Amino acid sequence: MDLATFPWLTTVTLLPLVACIAIPFLPDDNGKTVRWYALSVGLIDFVLIVAAFYLNYDFSQPGLQLVESYTWVPQLDLKWSVGVDGLSMPLVLLTGFITTLAALAAWPVTLKPKFFYFLLLAMYSGQIGVFAVQDMLLFFLFWELELIPVYLLLSIWGGKKRLYAATKFILYTAGGSLFILVAALAMAFYGDTITFDMTALAEKVYPLRMQLLLYGAFLIAYAVKLPIIPLHTWLPDAHGEATAPVHMLLAGILLKMGGYALIRMNLGMLPDAHTYFAPILVILGCINIVYAALTSFAQRNLKRKIAYSSISHMGFVLIGIASFTNLGLSGAVLQMISHGLIGASLFFLVGATYDRTHTLILDEMGGVGKKMPKIFAMFTTCSLASLALPGMSGFVAELMVFVGFATSDAYSFTFRLITVIFMAIGVILTPIYLLSMLREIFYGPENKELVEHEVLADAEPREVFIIACLLVPIIGFGFYPKMLTQIYDATTQKLTARLSQVFVATEASAEGLAPVAALPVLKAPSLSQ
Amino acid sequence: MDSVDTLYQYAWLIPVLPLIGAAIVGTGLISYGEATNRLRQPVAIFIVSLIGAAMVLSFAIFWSQWQGHAPYQAMFEWASAGDFRIEMGYTIDHLVALMLVVVTTVAFLVMIYTDGYMAHDAGYVRFYAYLSLFSSSMLGLVISPNLLQVYVFWELVGMCSYLLIGFWYDRKPAADACQKAFVTNRVGDFGLLLGILGLFWATGSFDFEIMGERLTDMVNVGSLPASVAAIFAILVFLGPVAKSAQFPLHVWLPDAMEGPTPISALIHAATMVAAGVFLVARMYPVFEHIPTVMTVIAYTGAFTAFMGATIAITQNDIKKGLAFSTMSQLGYMVMAMGVGAYSAGLFHLMTHAYFKAMLFLGSGSVIHGMEAVVGHDPVLAQDMRLMGGLRKYMPVTAITFLIGTLAISGIPPFAGFWSKDEILGATFAVNPALWAVGWLTAGITAFYMFRMYFSTFEGSFRGNDEGIRRDLKRAQFQKMGMSLGPGAMNPQELTLDAAHDEHDEHGHHAHEPHESPLSMIFPLLALAVPSVLVGLVGTPFANYFEAFIHPPGEVMAAVETAEAFDWNEFALMAGSSVAIATVGIIISGLMYRTKAIDPRAIAAKIPFLYNLSLNKWYVDDIYEVVFVQGSRKLAKQVLEVDIRIVDGLVNLTGLVTLVSGEGLKYLENGRAQFYALIVFGAVLGLVLLSGVT
Repeated sequence: MDLATFPWLTTVTLLPLVACIAIPFLPDDNGKTVRWYALSVGLIDFVLIVAAFYLNYDFSQPGLQLVESYTWVPQLDLKWSVGVDGLSMPLVLLTGFITTLAALAAWPVTLKPKFFYFLLLAMYSGQIGVFAVQDMLLFFLFWELELIPVYLLLSIWGGKKRLYAATKFILYTAGGSLFILVAALAMAFYGDTITFDMTALAEKVYPLRMQLLLYGAFLIAYAVKLPIIPLHTWLPDAHGEATAPVHMLLAGILLKMGGYALIRMNLGMLPDAHTYFAPILVILGCINIVYAALTSFAQRNLKRKIAYSSISHMGFVLIGIASFTNLGLSGAVLQMISHGLIGASLFFLVGATYDRTHTLILDEMGGVGKKMPKIFAMFTTCSLASLALPGMSGFVAELMVFVGFATSDAYSFTFRLITVIFMAIGVILTPIYLLSMLREIFYGPENKELVEHEVLADAEPREVFIIACLLVPIIGFGFYPKMLTQIYDATTQKLTARLSQVFVATEASAEGLAPVAALPVLKAPSLSQ
Repeated sequence: MDSVDTLYQYAWLIPVLPLIGAAIVGTGLISYGEATNRLRQPVAIFIVSLIGAAMVLSFAIFWSQWQGHAPYQAMFEWASAGDFRIEMGYTIDHLVALMLVVVTTVAFLVMIYTDGYMAHDAGYVRFYAYLSLFSSSMLGLVISPNLLQVYVFWELVGMCSYLLIGFWYDRKPAADACQKAFVTNRVGDFGLLLGILGLFWATGSFDFEIMGERLTDMVNVGSLPASVAAIFAILVFLGPVAKSAQFPLHVWLPDAMEGPTPISALIHAATMVAAGVFLVARMYPVFEHIPTVMTVIAYTGAFTAFMGATIAITQNDIKKGLAFSTMSQLGYMVMAMGVGAYSAGLFHLMTHAYFKAMLFLGSGSVIHGMEAVVGHDPVLAQDMRLMGGLRKYMPVTAITFLIGTLAISGIPPFAGFWSKDEILGATFAVNPALWAVGWLTAGITAFYMFRMYFSTFEGSFRGNDEGIRRDLKRAQFQKMGMSLGPGAMNPQELTLDAAHDEHDEHGHHAHEPHESPLSMIFPLLALAVPSVLVGLVGTPFANYFEAFIHPPGEVMAAVETAEAFDWNEFALMAGSSVAIATVGIIISGLMYRTKAIDPRAIAAKIPFLYNLSLNKWYVDDIYEVVFVQGSRKLAKQVLEVDIRIVDGLVNLTGLVTLVSGEGLKYLENGRAQFYALIVFGAVLGLVLLSGVT
């Protein structure tokens, strides 16, 4: 077997889906066999992903690598084409990592375990597919494919209001994805050639008006996913009802699909429109950060609290995307990966706490730190990671967005100042809600009611292991972020370079039109100067 | 020469050694909690020897710097994006060498002390892990070569402080205090972060020297308005304001005394809170060229010094009293920085670190002794109204505490005299009004410190007075009820607490306090040595300290010789400050030793001032109403908006969709899964359809 020509990406994308087929034939012993099966499939796939990138991926190349392309429906010019660049490669890795851990996190699932793991593996494929495919139609298919398992996972294994949450989720995302389809078709049919290939689409030159419309359509779809306020209300419901493993996937990967697609399509394919929309993204980002932090503070339901904190953290992604600097964009990507890890760990811990207290209402908890010191320690660590403590990945990401945006020449001084102040307010609000959450769960005298009625056992080794796995990269990237940034640096540089060309051109051609009050040159000062 | 360079190449080990210790013990606690918790002595020895090794390295580096070795810097690329690079690393110069020695010695002694103080605590091992983690972060902060790295470690020491204040997490006051400390510090960090970003935007660098140079150039050339530069610098100064407990962000420090006493000594007296002063020193190249900032710094310091001292007068909790005294002394240091007395401020930082650490450890020893009589209840064990006459029972603690008291009061030849006198002298030369505040504060300091000493160690022991105990408990309940507010008050919690105390009462309690074990006495004695002697390195007639530590960029001549030194001026300045200190001591002696004056009568005569001091100038109450309640209310309203309006609209549209799809839904017996499949199928059909046409 030739390592260079082996269809790595196709294999890792389809392996979990193919493995699903065997699940009905496994013995039905309360899920004992199937969970080992799912875990092994997840692990094998993750190992394959790592091997594929280790053997074939070159960090210094900005373009697509490990490309495979097979014609599927020639009439439609529909191709099975996959490939990764610096943007999608870390996200594929993240998907493999989080999904495998989610399979381990799902250990105690006893209700219809076979179906559960079936969906989990199907979701695995769907998610990797979204990040790996390079064909617009295929992208849309995977985007939709991925919704069905989530919907079912929510509506069968969720909490009390699961049907409501699941329906809301499907309506929102399916509604949003219609916009993707329309925009994709429009892009494909525009011009001389009909193509769905993303690279080709990115090279087409669209008139500005069309670009703006396309950008708006994509933005709505991805705003639902990321989410951007005011299209976020499905998320607290969905997160509030989901079980821990589903939760990990929702926060760890699903939200990142929105950010990924924003960078890949809005920024990468429609750069002219991006210069117009960027200030709006910044404003939305500020709203996300502050508004969601405040709602999180007021929430009394633990899962919803963390759900809102996710929304707040995604605001940094938006601002990074709109910063027009290498550093800002790099920070946005880092924030996605970092939040994928931190969000997954926090939601897992919330699930673990719920398994013991059987309540999510903060008023019914209190003082459980004595009985569950390990969960207390892990919860504290992950909360500190989430509030961007230095030494952990969240800090680096937010810092890069901060510095990137503050030094961006694309915006006027006042605009930057106000934005930075809003972001910094978010930095104050985050510890307020996270630390008061910790205080209400773990600190203080024990809640008699709770202690008498529930068995508050401390974390079992499996749970410690999952959190340890998540913390290793969180702390690793926090100590030495270059480990991660070098993976995608070439790609983000290329994207920013293209943007800045467009930006300068826009400035020159349409002086009064450009909403971005800017200096004509885009360049970040470097330390070496 | 080679060996010296090797020393510098391995200087990064100083913060890394304690980090390794913390990581190993922490991992042990998480994975094999019970087994690790049983290894008390081995863990303690392991952690203490690691910090000991770091201390030896620090002394070696200090010695080499003292001998005139050139500063050393090592950097590596930490993060990069395009041509943009952020570097981290470490730097060794005179200031760093001094701080390394101060931090490692205090940390080393505090860790030895911890063995005795925490001997009966279930969290003994965890405490050592935290202490080690803190030492590591603090040492990392000290060796930071640029502002960004300072920020990183700045937050990390804040986190350690959070963990340690909340160490006894089942106590409600500790739980509240740790959150308050972290959030207040985040407010300061908010300013620091904005300031860093602003300075970076303006100068394109995080390096202190380069930043200072470029900023000065830009202001001189006129490409950056001086006001903007001043705003950036003041924003940066907000960081030290929070960390060094300066007004208006001082509120967390007194509450931080809920943590175990060893950390009050290490973090909240000697090292972390002094980090603010250290940062101002580091930022000197930027600050010194902006007069507005220097003025702001000087006045903030002076005001804080005065405020802290006035509050300390009426405190009855021995640790709270010391906390306000720390705040006041930090005010002196900050004021010194502001008036340009760079080396005087750092000199006071050093002397204060030693004598205040000793005072705190002494108070810990007192509390340890009192707990034998009144039980493990901070309300009783820390209240000076129950103490008195302890000199008989704990002579070593009493003597070391007295040395500390003399040192902080500025009585020659103790350490505090030289440093405080140098600050006052320098201030007088710049701004006599500030000097007057500092001078007055020196008197108040002597008064409240001797009040503390007299009511703790002299007179007769009051610990067995049931009447006072009852009063204290009643006052505590009233206060809890008040702070919880009507409605939020949980009567069950109160009775719970009371029951808990009763349980404690049944313990085997002695009627007399006892002297603390050797592991606690030894650090006290060890710290007494620098508290007495360290001031002699910075006497005005032979100021070795200033020759070693002076503002960057300023070339210092050799040690000022006695000829250049003006005896008259020294006698005047020193005389006046010793005089006011003596007045303070005498008044306090009359009030609390001989009881010739009744303090309660004075308090009754000036109720307004008395209450102002007792209630900490009402700052906490104002913050509670404005910020705490305000932010809660705002958050609730935003959530209301989110639920009722944003989500409400969505649900309305959702309802419309559902109503229109009602028929379909019933057709499928409401099976949601199938509904989803239909949506998916429809979309797929749409794709194919639109694809074909």
